[in-house]
Amino acid sequence: MSRLIDASTRLLIQGITGREARMVTRHILAYGTTVVSGVTPGRCGQDVEGIPVFDTISHAVQDTSPTASLVSVPPAATLDAVAEAIAGDIPLIVIATEGIPQHDVLRMIELADEAGTIIIGPNSVGVIRPGDNVKIGAIGGEHPERAFIPGKIGVISRSGGMTAEIGLTLRLAGHGVSTAISVGGDALIGSTPATLLAGFQNDPETDAVVLFGEPGTRFEEDVAHRIAAAEFTKPLIALIAGGFTEKLPEGTAFGHAAAIIEGDSGRPSRKRKSLQDAGALVANSLDEISGLLDTALTSSPER
Amino acid sequence: MARILEHHAKQIFAQVGIPIPEGYPAISSDQAASIAEGIDSPVVVKALVPVGKRGEAGAVQFAEDSRGAAIAASDLIGRYIGAYMIDTVLVEERIEIEAELYLSIIIDRDERKPRIVISARGGVSIEDVAQNEPDAIITDTISMSRGLPEYRARELWKCAGVTGPVMPALGQITHRLWNLFIQHDLRLIEINPLFRTPSNTIIAGDAVLSVDDSAIFRHPDLERITVPGSDRAWRPMTELEADAQRVHELDPYRGSVRYLELEGGNIGFLCGGGGASLLLYDHLVDAGGKPANYAEIGGNPTEQKVAGMTRVVLSKPGVEGLFVAHNITNNTQTDVIARGVVTGIRHAGRDPSSLPVIAREAGLHDDEARKIFEEAGISYFGEETTLAEAARHMVAAMTGGGSR
Repeated sequence: MSRLIDASTRLLIQGITGREARMVTRHILAYGTTVVSGVTPGRCGQDVEGIPVFDTISHAVQDTSPTASLVSVPPAATLDAVAEAIAGDIPLIVIATEGIPQHDVLRMIELADEAGTIIIGPNSVGVIRPGDNVKIGAIGGEHPERAFIPGKIGVISRSGGMTAEIGLTLRLAGHGVSTAISVGGDALIGSTPATLLAGFQNDPETDAVVLFGEPGTRFEEDVAHRIAAAEFTKPLIALIAGGFTEKLPEGTAFGHAAAIIEGDSGRPSRKRKSLQDAGALVANSLDEISGLLDTALTSSPER
Repeated sequence: MARILEHHAKQIFAQVGIPIPEGYPAISSDQAASIAEGIDSPVVVKALVPVGKRGEAGAVQFAEDSRGAAIAASDLIGRYIGAYMIDTVLVEERIEIEAELYLSIIIDRDERKPRIVISARGGVSIEDVAQNEPDAIITDTISMSRGLPEYRARELWKCAGVTGPVMPALGQITHRLWNLFIQHDLRLIEINPLFRTPSNTIIAGDAVLSVDDSAIFRHPDLERITVPGSDRAWRPMTELEADAQRVHELDPYRGSVRYLELEGGNIGFLCGGGGASLLLYDHLVDAGGKPANYAEIGGNPTEQKVAGMTRVVLSKPGVEGLFVAHNITNNTQTDVIARGVVTGIRHAGRDPSSLPVIAREAGLHDDEARKIFEEAGISYFGEETTLAEAARHMVAAMTGGGSR
């Protein structure tokens, strides 16, 4: 799959009758995205912004053939909602909910892996493809065009807010975005940046990728491995925040398990170094991104 | 992740049949002596504090009798281990040891699965073993749906080089540990050392449990025994941090906040969201600024919450300026942030027109935000100013260099 979403995307929204979800639904529709149905158990027959609400995914799938689901339900209900979407064979699930019990996330990831479903999030602000006016989630808010204009740069960000700020930086520098993905702010997420690189590698409309990283996990190190292994060959510009956290007083770790399995990966300085060693361009601030992109795109054979 | 102290964790072990040494908590040397008297064997006296590597810190002492236990307890109680004062010790039967094993289950966030880690070479130097002899560490991921049956546990122990009459007990204990991991929504469960005695019984020498904060709502029993704020491992929660938490809990469902008090510094830091605040802090330090705290506020917070957090940030002694900056927002209303900041500055007894304040707010309702900041005499910057530039403006404002 080279693109997560495009003009053919048919979106279902789980928890569509919630206060936040209603607002997000309005913004998604205003942007031009096709929303086919919503699901809130017990609310069948109602509508939100003209979108029919169903009690069950199975009924919504039968009547409206969605290709993606946005999950916006409370944390305690998210595992069940995601399991229902997976059972309904919806191939892409974007989870906006924050603060889901970690064991529930482990279970939904296991279910998704077995079914071949792609999960973005939890705690994702969404995915946007400006060229097709498609967005799933709150990404870009009511005025996505302020941050995201169509173009050829892919964005992968561990921070939802920084997804928008990177879009804005690109726009002000005269670049646009092919697809921008907020992978979710948690350490435990369905699709890691490294696994999402393949889509950008295969997308002819993406010339380069900007990655925003944070302390913790091996996500950025895994991206570096993909670049070093030539599985991703387009220019990649990375910005890794949180260098200051390495200078905070070292907390005594509780137990040894984390140190045994993670070692000292997770430090921003290590992430920067592995990315640099692999051939990625590492920026110190957003201000450098446009210059790095211009250099990379004029010298890149991939162009 | 909230931590559970050893004596509580061991009670949880005992309830499911994981053997533990006989022991009880004591808050005085007299009490320690009478516990040791009752146990009637040499004892170990351990500080009950939520930090690791207690042995190396001298927080675990050995005593031959009740008098020795009293001396150890009076030495420990009142002392600090890291930033935690010892107020309670665990007085425990000393186990005769043939071997020390290691056993833990943790969430592996990169593999996105639970992971079991075991070794026949447990004890205080397990991290060195992992570093220098990685083959002595046996590890595997576990399926949430299939779990960890006893036979699989025995296979893993066999790989670790453990054999003999302890095999059935090890299989059982490991399986029970998995059940606890699932039943209590744990992020980490660890036994180090796991003792093997000369008579081939297996006993948990320590018990480390860490609970998932986001699952605590379905474990009210655990909430009572966790140490609040212990995820900030190097010290207990400060008064200002507790204040910030109260501000958040007034309306916990609107917006997210984090406040971390730091030593020294003169710039009050109130930024967001999660990623941008990390970047903004880096930029502030790069520009030569000295933040007095790290605070993050986002997710469309209420005006009251922003005002409360602003007051908390400005309450720290030595704070002589305020940096308010966010990434261009998706749905966070920047006018609400602006109102909250101005109100919070006044609540803190400061004058927004004389306090050095830099605001960089772009996104929803930023025309209105600009008006509110500027009417209060605050230097406002919008989307045309980058995050790094805003940080430089802040540092310039602190040195009286002006910001425009």
